[in-house]
Amino acid sequence: MPELTYREAVRDALVTAMRADDDVFLLGEDIAEMGGSMGVTQGMLAEFGPERVRNTPISEMALAGAAIGAAMQGMRPVAEIMYEDFMTLAAEQVVNQAAKHRYMSGGQLSVPVVFRTQGGAGWSPGAQHAQQLEAWFVHIPGLKVVFASTPEDVRGLLWSSIYDDNPIVFFEHRTLYPIKGDVPEEIEPIPLGKARVHREGGDVTVIATGRLVHESLRAAEEAERDGISVEVVDPRTLQPLDEETLVASVKKTNRAVVAHEAVTRMGFGAEVAAVLQYQAFDWLDAPIERVGAKFAPLPFAPVMENFVVPHAADVLAAIRRTVGRT
Amino acid sequence: MATEVILPRLGQGMESGTIVKWLKAEGEQVEKGEPLFELDTDKVTQEVEAETSGVLLRIAVAGGEVPVGRTVAFIGAEGEEAPSVPDASSSEPGSSYQSVVESESAAESRVPATSLSSAANGRIKASPLARRIARERGVDLRSLRGTGPDGRIVAEDVERAEPDESGGSYQTVPESQPAAESRLPATGLSIPVTNVRRTIARRLTQAWEVPVFQLQASADMTRVNALVARLRERDPEVRVTVTDLLTKVCAAALMRHREVNAEWTEEAIVLHPSANVGIAVAAPQGLVVPVIRGAERLSLAEIAAVRTDLVGRARDNKLRTEDLEGGTFTISNLGMFAVESFTAVLNPPQAAIVACGATEDRAVASGGEVVVRPMVTLTATFDHRAVDGAPAAGFLQTVKEGLEDPGLAL
Repeated sequence: MPELTYREAVRDALVTAMRADDDVFLLGEDIAEMGGSMGVTQGMLAEFGPERVRNTPISEMALAGAAIGAAMQGMRPVAEIMYEDFMTLAAEQVVNQAAKHRYMSGGQLSVPVVFRTQGGAGWSPGAQHAQQLEAWFVHIPGLKVVFASTPEDVRGLLWSSIYDDNPIVFFEHRTLYPIKGDVPEEIEPIPLGKARVHREGGDVTVIATGRLVHESLRAAEEAERDGISVEVVDPRTLQPLDEETLVASVKKTNRAVVAHEAVTRMGFGAEVAAVLQYQAFDWLDAPIERVGAKFAPLPFAPVMENFVVPHAADVLAAIRRTVGRT
Repeated sequence: MATEVILPRLGQGMESGTIVKWLKAEGEQVEKGEPLFELDTDKVTQEVEAETSGVLLRIAVAGGEVPVGRTVAFIGAEGEEAPSVPDASSSEPGSSYQSVVESESAAESRVPATSLSSAANGRIKASPLARRIARERGVDLRSLRGTGPDGRIVAEDVERAEPDESGGSYQTVPESQPAAESRLPATGLSIPVTNVRRTIARRLTQAWEVPVFQLQASADMTRVNALVARLRERDPEVRVTVTDLLTKVCAAALMRHREVNAEWTEEAIVLHPSANVGIAVAAPQGLVVPVIRGAERLSLAEIAAVRTDLVGRARDNKLRTEDLEGGTFTISNLGMFAVESFTAVLNPPQAAIVACGATEDRAVASGGEVVVRPMVTLTATFDHRAVDGAPAAGFLQTVKEGLEDPGLAL
């Protein structure tokens, strides 16, 4: 099995789709000569030319609108929004246009566009360049939302996103770009709406996304030393949500922790907790624990940033609370 | 604001403990981490440390059996008034521990069944899972005492509830000893049954229900004796014993015969990945079996060091709960008592135990002649549900070969 970094895995999905299919093209800020601010599209201009790797003006609303228009005309555009924080500038197009056209046209139009974007703390980017805003977009009917945590997942899920006929908001995590992982020789599409059980366990289920998947796996190892057996599940697709897998896991373990880097308050984990308490109420042996960032803008100072966002130790503490061993 | 000292849960499954004695007196200054009281659980007697510094304002429970999560004392600032009864609105066990707080005597710490519920203001705090299991089994939650966080009744509490023969109400915490005057004969010395003793009794009774079989083999200990002597000569600091060698040899054999390093469950036979060898130790409070973890990976010197520490602490009553957990196999050695051979009772859920007699000079046939050799007889007991005769015999044979030629196990 070849090994790719998360960054290379994203690029591999883009390159493979563009070689196979003329309808797929990229647009975004500084993605051509510069190869994107995170280096994901490096080298692609040389292979595919400026028509298919298009630099846009610095207007997220304009580039999102252009991508939506192209998608409605039958193309499969992949738009890069440099930082998740800038999705707020594209929000009108994503929320009011992309998410609505299929419904409002009675199915006559479809908008097969992917908005790739990245965020996440851990490198001191400050309050405006590291937010985790997935909760904003899972709240919008008509969008699908993906958040992959491993090279294998990011490649297979991006491929499925490009070929899905619905608008997709595709989150990548800044600190995961350099991580390495085995990927299948050929791209294997990963169906949207299918969770991944990273680790099986019997005492507590940790449902985690993005960077927190890795933190949770570390916490699970730590817990194992104390005899607490932890199952770690990554939903991967936040919308639609694989409720079946999550509920089945919690029915097995009777305890749940939801963990993400975004602030806990009104976060994606709140919805997961609601789903679990309703569908697995009679199986719960402890309150569902939530792990997320403190309710504060992300500080620039590394020490303070570290204090605000959650780590493996926070997941471990939550695991211990669910089993009453604090 | 005074801090409550809560009876801690020292291991999975612990529901209550017996306060043996307080190591600090009321009014005395305590530092965080200092031993506060001695607690006797069904596994060990352990010193419980203070989680906060301050003055021990009040000892609410002087001694006796106390459920996990109950307030047993208060630590606060000098001159501070200790709350006599915890605030019912903020603490769940509420009404139930009032009786304990007020009785203050070991013998009277028994809580009447009617006050066991974790109810405060009539509301029972129980997890949804606990409620469902209680509903399915017809268990009355009001009769249970919660051991979960904040005194919540969790599934384990309901599962442990056993029908009360007399009247259909359920009890999680085993009742104290039967009233002395009613059952005990008039003459004879009555030794009160400790939690450890009660656990020994319960587990041995359980073990008796297991269908077991025994296999016996004798081994020539010439090389073991030579090796032990040589190791002691080389490093008198670490006193390697025959038990250490037996531990090493058994661990190596368990790794070769994984089916013996096993546990029977209704769903599956679980083969354990590591040989966690328990050593039966006669401690003052009774038989305890501390565990040498991952013995297959330890050198003889390491095994000796771990064993010395465990046995020493067992004799000083200083074992921790974790020292006694996770065993996958047990060795019981009565060699020092000149016992030729004996049968050990299984230590469930383990599938095997080996009983080791004394090494003694016996006349044995070797190469057509009768010679005198130091011989030991091992009697292994197996859980027949988990392991059959032939693989068990294979295991014992490997142990015998390992003792006769210790190099094979190293």
